[in-house]
Amino acid sequence: MLIQTTQLEKKVTTQDGILHILQPIDLSIEAGQTVAIVGASGSGKSTLLSLLAGLDLASGGDVSIDNVNLGDLDEEQRAKVRADKIGFIFQSFLLIPSLTALENVMLPAELAGHKNAEQQARELLTKVGLGERLKHYPNQLSGGEQQRVAIARAFIGTPKILFADEPTGNLDATTGHKVEDLLFEMNKESGTTLVMVTHDPELAKRCQRILKMDAGRLTEVSNDVA
Amino acid sequence: MWHKISWRLLRHELKRGELTIMAAAIVLSVTAVLSLSLFTERLQSGLLARSAEFLAADRVLSSRRPISDEWLEQAQQRGLDTANRVVFNSMAFADDNLALVDIKAVSDGYPLRGSLRTASEPFGDETTVINQLPGEGEAWVAAALFQELDLEVGDTLEIGQSKFKVSRVLTYEPDVGFSVFTDSPNVLIHYDQLEQTGLIQPGSRVRYNVLFAGTAEQLDGYYEWLAPQLNDDTHNWRSIEDGDSPLARSLQRAERFMLLASLLGVVLAATAVAVAAQRYCQRNYDVVAIFKTLGAERRQIQRIFILHLLLLTFISIGVGLLLGWVIQAQVIEFVAAQLGAELPAAGLKPYVLASATGLVSAVMFTLYPLLRLIAIPPLRVLNRELTGTDKLRWLHWIASAGTIYALLLIYSQQWLLSTALFAGGAVAAVLLLAVGRLFIRASRQAGMQAGSAWRLAMAGLQRRAQANSVQMLSFSTAIMLLLLVLALRNELLADWERQLPDDAPNYFIVNVAPGDVAQLEQRFAARDIESNDMYPVVPGRMTAVNGVPVRDEVTKEAGGDEADTQTNNAEQREGFGRELSLTWRDDLPPNNTIVAGEWWGDNPQPQVSIEEEVAERMRLSIGDELEFNIGGNTFTVPVTSIRKVNWGSLQPNFFMIFNTSTLEDFPATFISSFNLPKERQSELYELFKPFPEVSLIDLDAIMEQLREVIDQVSIAIAFVLVLVLIAGILVLLAQVQASMEERQQELVILRTLGAPAKLLSRSVTYEFLILGAISGLIATLAMELSLWILQTQVFEMAATIHWRFWLVGPLAGAIVVGTLGRLACARLVRRNTAQLIRKLA
Repeated sequence: MLIQTTQLEKKVTTQDGILHILQPIDLSIEAGQTVAIVGASGSGKSTLLSLLAGLDLASGGDVSIDNVNLGDLDEEQRAKVRADKIGFIFQSFLLIPSLTALENVMLPAELAGHKNAEQQARELLTKVGLGERLKHYPNQLSGGEQQRVAIARAFIGTPKILFADEPTGNLDATTGHKVEDLLFEMNKESGTTLVMVTHDPELAKRCQRILKMDAGRLTEVSNDVA
Repeated sequence: MWHKISWRLLRHELKRGELTIMAAAIVLSVTAVLSLSLFTERLQSGLLARSAEFLAADRVLSSRRPISDEWLEQAQQRGLDTANRVVFNSMAFADDNLALVDIKAVSDGYPLRGSLRTASEPFGDETTVINQLPGEGEAWVAAALFQELDLEVGDTLEIGQSKFKVSRVLTYEPDVGFSVFTDSPNVLIHYDQLEQTGLIQPGSRVRYNVLFAGTAEQLDGYYEWLAPQLNDDTHNWRSIEDGDSPLARSLQRAERFMLLASLLGVVLAATAVAVAAQRYCQRNYDVVAIFKTLGAERRQIQRIFILHLLLLTFISIGVGLLLGWVIQAQVIEFVAAQLGAELPAAGLKPYVLASATGLVSAVMFTLYPLLRLIAIPPLRVLNRELTGTDKLRWLHWIASAGTIYALLLIYSQQWLLSTALFAGGAVAAVLLLAVGRLFIRASRQAGMQAGSAWRLAMAGLQRRAQANSVQMLSFSTAIMLLLLVLALRNELLADWERQLPDDAPNYFIVNVAPGDVAQLEQRFAARDIESNDMYPVVPGRMTAVNGVPVRDEVTKEAGGDEADTQTNNAEQREGFGRELSLTWRDDLPPNNTIVAGEWWGDNPQPQVSIEEEVAERMRLSIGDELEFNIGGNTFTVPVTSIRKVNWGSLQPNFFMIFNTSTLEDFPATFISSFNLPKERQSELYELFKPFPEVSLIDLDAIMEQLREVIDQVSIAIAFVLVLVLIAGILVLLAQVQASMEERQQELVILRTLGAPAKLLSRSVTYEFLILGAISGLIATLAMELSLWILQTQVFEMAATIHWRFWLVGPLAGAIVVGTLGRLACARLVRRNTAQLIRKLA
């Protein structure tokens, strides 16, 4: 099992008492699966994503990636896990504004100390159709183009898992579909496990599994397409 | 790998102008410190060299006993130039006339600084004499003596056992000084002729001086060697900066001003760095969160950003040094051209100082923001509100305050001044913060009823009350420091102007017989010559204080002050057993203020008023009984008042003033000063012909030098002002920029909701206008307070209220801050909404 949670929960203390953002969750995701997490705003989707990716710590329960319990790791070790095994795509792209498209894509590989970061980045950008725009800064690119750069960046370290948070949420429908196609195509090619948070039922349907989040409770929904 | 990322970020950010403010702040701090310290150092040494003329040397060692030849040899071995000068009083005879004269015997090389001027007839055209002294059997004689002895050039003058041919009229000696009580005219002879006069006997009242000239290092090195061998009772080592002459005072005051203004400039530049540093780190919050999400380790991030900051700092320091040097070179060239003088080169110290300032302020002000930056949680990629912990905020205040204090100390190298400024600044900051918040709170009511742009502005002010009061702190600080430097400059220049008005007295007359006073005054009036009051002078000695004879007491206490005859009035303090010039008067003289006791008015009881510093030196206080001996008559009077005297005023000033009834029966001569324009100089001879016994002392040359020095300093001050102004504007700019970013999101939302550009830009402008006006008002208040302290405590000037600034402060604050805010906002509003949203995303 690539991703495994047992009784994973998240609570925060507020003025009105304890707020359960995530009720205890048991979840297993196998390598190579594509999983969509759907649900209303504020239902806890993004919180679950942040716990699975080791960006935040759980209040209770465990989450393990590749049989390593993230709860046992400190911030540095979790960063190492992310560097080695995880790629990200965000709704707001989160590119570094003062680096070019090429440099943004190179960044994770460089941080991980890969020697041929630039070569890999060029190839990936060419693959996402931005081979001509390597030297452009994010603000010189359209939203769709920026997200394609982000996809290239997500794949550069050949991660085992790709976490995507509303990857097309900031894009118009046409551009969104193109980006979706690109994402699934590259995912298929690399055999990466994809965990995607989305509002969009159509997009969710393209995944093998759909999990529905409702007021902090996670339930599996059957996917007719899969 | 991390260094590549760091360099890449820096390169792109520099190119894209994202680091401009931070870089500009560091560049400015370095430029300001470098150009200021280079400039002041060079100007200072230029001024000192120029003023050294007043001593005729860089340093003077004086003694009542002959000075050891070994000391001279040691000085010469160290590469110093030396010359001997021996001064004493003696009678001089010409035919049947005789007069008491000051004889000055000088050796080759004299004067080591400045030059003598002579004429071929009294009050004739003078020429500068270079490398020349009276020859064997010759004497050069001051013009006044020509009148007194009815001399002509070529006559013979008998001094002691020698006869001298009067070969030239001595019109100017650089070291003649300001003391009007060197009342006997000077005779200059060569040192080699001294022995033949037979006047130097054991016990004669002779002052031996050795003059020294050389570099500061040579002089300091020599003094280090000499100091342990000096006897405080007999020796006195002096430079031009010691003492009370108007020049020394102007120099000290100018020095203090330059130092203070430079310090304020440094603080302003550092404030700009502090504001920019905060921004610099905040801008990178997202970047760090992304880095962490992408798996960067803390250590990598630390290294990337520390290197980034250091690279930025070093590049900025380099640019700053270059710019500072260029500016300073331009200004020096301009100043040198204005003054027709070369200014000596400066050492390495200013460069070290400037680089240290840049490095210290960049590193220290960034320390805490950087800590926060590195601690940004990766979760920020999903939740943009997260800014990490703010628990160590106290660390930031301590680091910032410590940095400011360290900079003050590094720059001034004076504990007391730095601590005073720092403490004052800290109190002002707390007050500013409090008053700022109060103002904003008070503005709430007004805001509710105003039109919509006003309402938006007021609502904005309210919402950001905390952030605004911090912003207001930097706005106010910048405006206050600017106003302060400006006001102080005006005060200083005005004070100098007052001291040296065009009609300032340029001649002193001494030895006026009582019977001539009225006639002389009539002649002045007839020729429309402005003169001061005539002051009677009675020579007398102070013999005892409260029954204790003065000689014994004074040699211990005032022994270290055996002064050179020249340049200042220290002579009178040498030992109060000496003869003093005493005067009497009904009214308090101008430029004198009572600091203790009361002026007598009509009270006929015998009493005396003494000068403040004498009182301090002699440990005299109100009620002490002083015994005086005038021509064998002894009497005792109580001290009833202590006066502060402005020695810079070119009028007769006295240590001891008695009430009229005490002294009026003693024989007296009178002294005064008057103004006669240079072009009317030829009238002097006619004017004084009927009064052969009156001695005339020419102050023109001295005043000319003083004016030159003041001109130089004025240029320097203007330069400092410009630098401080730039620093101030940079602070304002950095602060507006920073607060604009905070307002960005709100503006975008309002814009998206359809608010017209005009409304937004107006509301932002109003908000900044209000902030600027309040800051300006608080700044003016703080400025008045600081100025009051500075004027009374540091510059020894009368404090004044600057009504003009109460208008200028708030107005300038509102206009400058409002304009900067409007400009920054205009850029945002010009973009279309989609661009704005993307920028926010």
